[in-house]
Amino acid sequence: MKPSELLTRIVITVFNLGVVALSLALWAQTPLIHARIAEGGGWSPNVIQAKVGEPLHLKFTSDDVMHGFSVGQMEMQPVDIEPGKVSETTLTFTKPGIYTFFCTRWCGLNHWRMRGTVKVTGSETGTPEPVTPPLYVSLGLDLDKPHPVPFAPAGRPSAANGQKLAASLLNARFTTPDYYRSHAPAQLFDNLRSTGLSDSQRWDLVATVWQSNTTPAGLAEGKQLFAQNCAACHGEFGGGNGVFADDLAAAGTASMQTMNGDMAMSMQTPADFTNPQRMLGASPALLQGKILRGGMGTGMPMWGTIFTHEQIWNVIAYLYSFQFDYPK
Amino acid sequence: MRPYAILFLLVLAGLVVAFAPLPAHFSAPVARTFHVEASQFAYQPGEISVNPGDKVTIELVSTDVVHGLYVDGYGVSVKADPGQNATLTFVADKSGSFRLRCNVTCGAMHPFMVGKLNVGANTWLYRSLALASLGIFSVFVLARTTKME
Repeated sequence: MKPSELLTRIVITVFNLGVVALSLALWAQTPLIHARIAEGGGWSPNVIQAKVGEPLHLKFTSDDVMHGFSVGQMEMQPVDIEPGKVSETTLTFTKPGIYTFFCTRWCGLNHWRMRGTVKVTGSETGTPEPVTPPLYVSLGLDLDKPHPVPFAPAGRPSAANGQKLAASLLNARFTTPDYYRSHAPAQLFDNLRSTGLSDSQRWDLVATVWQSNTTPAGLAEGKQLFAQNCAACHGEFGGGNGVFADDLAAAGTASMQTMNGDMAMSMQTPADFTNPQRMLGASPALLQGKILRGGMGTGMPMWGTIFTHEQIWNVIAYLYSFQFDYPK
Repeated sequence: MRPYAILFLLVLAGLVVAFAPLPAHFSAPVARTFHVEASQFAYQPGEISVNPGDKVTIELVSTDVVHGLYVDGYGVSVKADPGQNATLTFVADKSGSFRLRCNVTCGAMHPFMVGKLNVGANTWLYRSLALASLGIFSVFVLARTTKME
């Protein structure tokens, strides 16, 4: 072998190795985020640092079952995370702040505990949006107080039937979005007492008012969010009997125990949205508070950092559709 | 009778048992729906039986983590999250027994999460049972004829 040939071989080998090593080094610079079920430790790491305007490249893998990744209150395609595979995504944040990321595929009873944060630092562009307290705070509602109504409609109130009565009988006061958000269906039923209508006609009117505050697109979004995030406990049809309802009771976790009076403890079950006594006594503002904050002595997660306000209003509109018959 | 003739007859009987076409089992195809619950690491029910030509709908309900259901031989699959039931519809136009497998990694025992789909009667089981008994029978017959000589 001639020396020049040997030299050429060495140069080519070194060059090839360099290309491989450089790309590997660049790839390895983004750390791998491991996803485990909450009982196994959840996300590691669970705090991610980012800068405003700079693309954040993330790589994930799972150590047990299928998980998903999404950042709350952000328009993004959730990333599926499977064991034995590496999924990647790139995010760009436009505003500084602390964002919550969460698991999007149900991975067990404590799926919702799989959360972490993205700390985005950098200078604010434009003026910061003023923060207004949610409606339940300004109305002074107690989220933990039971809100049963002693009476319930005989049948399922129909918004279509109410439509015929609405034009002549409804006071403009009752049809504003503010009225809808701050009043329970039972309160409107009470307020309509002076109209001289029968009970079932008044309930039909209530259904009409509730429907007028939704759109088909909003209901469809609410339905989708409900199926993805709520149905595992509250049931596909809102009956409080989702696939995890029995497991929650069997697990007997402290999160599902509540005080009855001074001493007695009892297990809480996921709320039954088909129960009229419970649902017709709840105003949208109250439900918004419960969804935003969670808790109530149960394992209800806090959704305030995950859903946008609009998404929560759409979920609420969908919850009332378990009570009212809306024309398609 | 000569032993060769007996042997010939026995082999002929064996071939008939193994390959004779059965009278076509006719049943009008119907639509069947199965509610299958998937949990770590089993399907409930674990075995599904249908007739050839049936339109099969499997409603998959997951009760713990994300599970899948893949039908070997048909190559169709479905995935269900807890709270989001998923349905799989296909026409069972191939007869035989097929494995159902979970195709979403669902934990340590995931590879052992299997079920079974039976399309039509399991004729190979009956044929092999018949062949086995014929074999035992021929051992006796052949032993006797050779002894007599």
